[in-house]
Amino acid sequence: MARGGERAKRGESPEQKRVDELFTVAYEELRRLASTVLGGDRSATLNPTALVNEAWVKLASSPRFAATSLLHFKRIAARAMRQVLIEAARRRNALKRGRGAPITITFDDARDEAARYAKDLLALDAALNELARIQPRQAMMVEGRFFGGLDIAQTAELLEVSEATIFRDWRAARAWLAHQLHQAN
Amino acid sequence: MDSEKMDSARWERIQSLFHGAVDLRGSEQRTFLSSACGGDQALIADVLALLEEDAKGNSLLDRGMAEVARQMLDTAASPSFASQQFGKYRIQRLLGEGGMGVVYLAEREDLHDLVAIKILRDAWLSPARRERFASEQRTLAQLNHASIARLYDADTLPDGTPWFVMEYVEGIPLTEYCSANRCSTEERLELFRSVCEAVQYAHRHAVIHRDLKPSNILVKPDGSVRLLDFGISKQLPSLDRPVDQTRTGLRMMTPAYASPEEIRGEPVGVHTDVYSLGMILYELLAGRLPYNLSSKTPSEAETILLEHEPERPSLVNQRLAGPGRVAPSTSKAAWADLDVLCLTAMHKDAQRRYRSVEALVRDIDHYLKGEPLEARRDSAGYRLRKFVTRNRRAVSTAVVLFAVVVGIVAFFTIRLAIARNAALAEAARTQRIQHFMFSLFQGGDKSAGPADSLRVVTLLDRGVKEARSLDGEPAVQAELYQTLGSIYQKLGKLDQADSLLSLALRERKSLFGSDHPQVAESLVLLGLLRAAQAQLEEAERSVREGLEMSKRRLPPNHPSLAKAIFALGKVQEERGAYEKAIKTLDEAVRLQSAGRAETPELADSLHELANAHFYAGHYDTSESLNQRLLPMYRRMYGDSHPRVADILINLGAIKLDRGHYPEAEKLDRQALEIVEAWYGRDSLETASDLTLLARALVYQGRYSEAVDLLQQSLLIKERAYGRVHPSVASSLNELGNTASRQGNYDAAEPYFQRMVDIYRAVYGEHHYLLATALSNLASVDMGRNEWARAEKIFRQVISLYTETQSATHINTGIARIKLGRTLLRQQRPSDAEVETRAGYDILVKQMEPKVSWLVNGRKDLIEEYDLLQQPENAAKFREELAKIQSENQAAARR
Repeated sequence: MARGGERAKRGESPEQKRVDELFTVAYEELRRLASTVLGGDRSATLNPTALVNEAWVKLASSPRFAATSLLHFKRIAARAMRQVLIEAARRRNALKRGRGAPITITFDDARDEAARYAKDLLALDAALNELARIQPRQAMMVEGRFFGGLDIAQTAELLEVSEATIFRDWRAARAWLAHQLHQAN
Repeated sequence: MDSEKMDSARWERIQSLFHGAVDLRGSEQRTFLSSACGGDQALIADVLALLEEDAKGNSLLDRGMAEVARQMLDTAASPSFASQQFGKYRIQRLLGEGGMGVVYLAEREDLHDLVAIKILRDAWLSPARRERFASEQRTLAQLNHASIARLYDADTLPDGTPWFVMEYVEGIPLTEYCSANRCSTEERLELFRSVCEAVQYAHRHAVIHRDLKPSNILVKPDGSVRLLDFGISKQLPSLDRPVDQTRTGLRMMTPAYASPEEIRGEPVGVHTDVYSLGMILYELLAGRLPYNLSSKTPSEAETILLEHEPERPSLVNQRLAGPGRVAPSTSKAAWADLDVLCLTAMHKDAQRRYRSVEALVRDIDHYLKGEPLEARRDSAGYRLRKFVTRNRRAVSTAVVLFAVVVGIVAFFTIRLAIARNAALAEAARTQRIQHFMFSLFQGGDKSAGPADSLRVVTLLDRGVKEARSLDGEPAVQAELYQTLGSIYQKLGKLDQADSLLSLALRERKSLFGSDHPQVAESLVLLGLLRAAQAQLEEAERSVREGLEMSKRRLPPNHPSLAKAIFALGKVQEERGAYEKAIKTLDEAVRLQSAGRAETPELADSLHELANAHFYAGHYDTSESLNQRLLPMYRRMYGDSHPRVADILINLGAIKLDRGHYPEAEKLDRQALEIVEAWYGRDSLETASDLTLLARALVYQGRYSEAVDLLQQSLLIKERAYGRVHPSVASSLNELGNTASRQGNYDAAEPYFQRMVDIYRAVYGEHHYLLATALSNLASVDMGRNEWARAEKIFRQVISLYTETQSATHINTGIARIKLGRTLLRQQRPSDAEVETRAGYDILVKQMEPKVSWLVNGRKDLIEEYDLLQQPENAAKFREELAKIQSENQAAARR
């Protein structure tokens, strides 16, 4: 077994390692930015596009990532953003299930928007995983656009398809995901 | 719609129907679908569901992320670690939070001591995060110094979240402490000195901090300092201060204190920390940082940090009025020393900084004791005086050199001012001066030593400025650019050389047209520069263009033509085309021998020709050429010139390759004597010649003498570069190999271990050189028959080579064969066979069949297949081995 573990480790390519490192940096930067925004000015926009851009500005000045293109970074940042949010949603749900009654009532309150968002986010995550199985390109597109704030042109460049294709894909995928969310509720 | 039954084909079909229907009206949609779906009700329902969602458009996806993010991150915050059990520590409150982890203040239950607990949040997220966290922990565990925050304890939570406990430092950042307490210059220097000592300690343990800045250096109420944040650690904000906003919790540097080499992404080392310390000292002395980067974009900030020269701290401090001003009582003379001290530490050129933190501390001590600074010796007067007493011969060269550089600049200027019209008549004189100057540089480019060449550079810079003002005399200007450019090139300042030589070429083209001997000359020089820049293809192209032009425009016996041919030969040699180079250089020698017998140009061609023959393996020819050169150089430059030593070393190398070790030793000793006398016993040139001599001794089995010389060489390098430097590592490698060769593995091990530590500190965990050093370390265990230990290291080596080079790289192959050997010796033939065979398969595709790795691999495979009772396989390799051996014997008979 020990040998197997070692083989798996050896199998991780330098490229995978680089992406892992980049992802780590992106994730941590987003987390830090998010806590800065929330800790300080409440009226500041917590907008994923702005967050990702700010993270990029910082990273671009680091020579370790000098060879990374903005687009490549944004794709990885989108993934990191998704992780940050899904994990937050999961934690929220765990709280709801694991703790005493008063909290349950608060979170079950129909007016509690955060609870609904958490539920929706988790459903979206599951649906995106499904979509990745059926049509990986569309899943990547949704991740980039929704979580990373990429616009149509950038998404098209990233996935190497025309803007018209992105436009059509987005419309269909959006309808399908909305339907999945609907059903999850 | 059941997503589990969905597959790509069905999804494609649904999408195409969806797009066909989506822009139709409600009733038309139904008609369209029922005809298109041919009664497949499930399909119709699926498409209708999508159409309905499309029309509604109010799912999460339409609401935008901003709102979602706010809701999630705002309310979920970070998980509360406060309720968890951290061994014997009880959490009190949150101290700080960053991307990487959270830091809590905690109390040890039995002793009631306050500590800081650092926890890696979301440890599951990626291996890189866990590795970074663990590496900080390891570093802290290694360092045990009064001024470095200590590691107390470490463990993981039941869910795998790692945490460690470290000293809680209640203090305020260094710069704040100094301004709050109105510290005097001496008090500031004392505090700064303690910081230096802590950094020096870390360096001795091969740890480079890489992110030194005031907020990582806290001063406690009792006035003692603590260094924080080795790797990833957050600064522990004292007393409810907000978390430091510039920190990301990542291993990203803080630009304001980052050295130019770090910004450029070049390897970092001891010098990186010296630079940051210099910046901190600047801030302490001047009252602020040299550059204001607050409103700059990253690339603007980068330009400033790389290119702008800082103002002297004394001037900045003078301008600061009122309470911000540091120590108004410090005398002007003292400030001058402080300026030098500080600017030397933070010099943009790492070569000109203090070589180590130790050297920086020495000068602080000199200052505090009122003694002259070591850094001051770089300034011309002091240095020159010192030089005269030490080495009369060298100084005469250097002084003449200055005189010539000053002279040539003055010559052009005066000539323009007074005798503009006589410019052409003076051309011959110009050439003479140029020639004189070059011959000096050629003998003395290195011999003037780095400090002196820097002074030459200052003069050259002035020369360039003056040349730029000579707009009215473009021909002279171009000539001056070309001369100065070539001198810069000899001094290794290739960028300056590039811009001047390119400028000269452009000006000459516009003056004389694109087909002219002067243009040809510029092309050839630019080609040689390209070769120095390792742009070999472009080098050859440019030299050839110049050569063709010279052939067209000049008589066949013109010296410029021979020079161009020589340049082509040199470039060909650089490209590794030795046979072509030999042919070309023969031609150059032929042309240059036609006139007067001995010219420096001829000597240069012969030297290059001798080298080309050596590289091509023609030892006899190379030896006789070198022997011809030796008396020539002696006549031209004198018996004790470094050029003569170069030839002696070449002759020694030939003897060594032929196995004539005592002769090689004799030649190396003669060379060493010259080099020691010329550059000094402590120079790096001496260090490298000591290594060569030691090799000649090792081959004669005179190990203890060799070790003695290698130790001397090591000491010189340590003094020049500090203890943690790749060049020091290569000396350690030489020492380790010498000890291994003797079978003295216990002596070899510490050398290789230090080599490993240095590479780890300089290049990090992911570099092939670290694998090479580890592999040497493992060979020690193999020598001692400690197979299991060697096995462990080789596994690490293989995974490092695989990661940094590739799974099929020669190095990976060799390491796998070695790993196979360790397994075989542990009586594990089937595991061994996997490794040996894999390594063998990698190497056999890329190397000659008789290299020792493959021979050893075959021997091991035979043994393995015998043990595994696979006679056919064993027979196959026996046959191969026998074939190689009989070929070797045949070759030996020939």
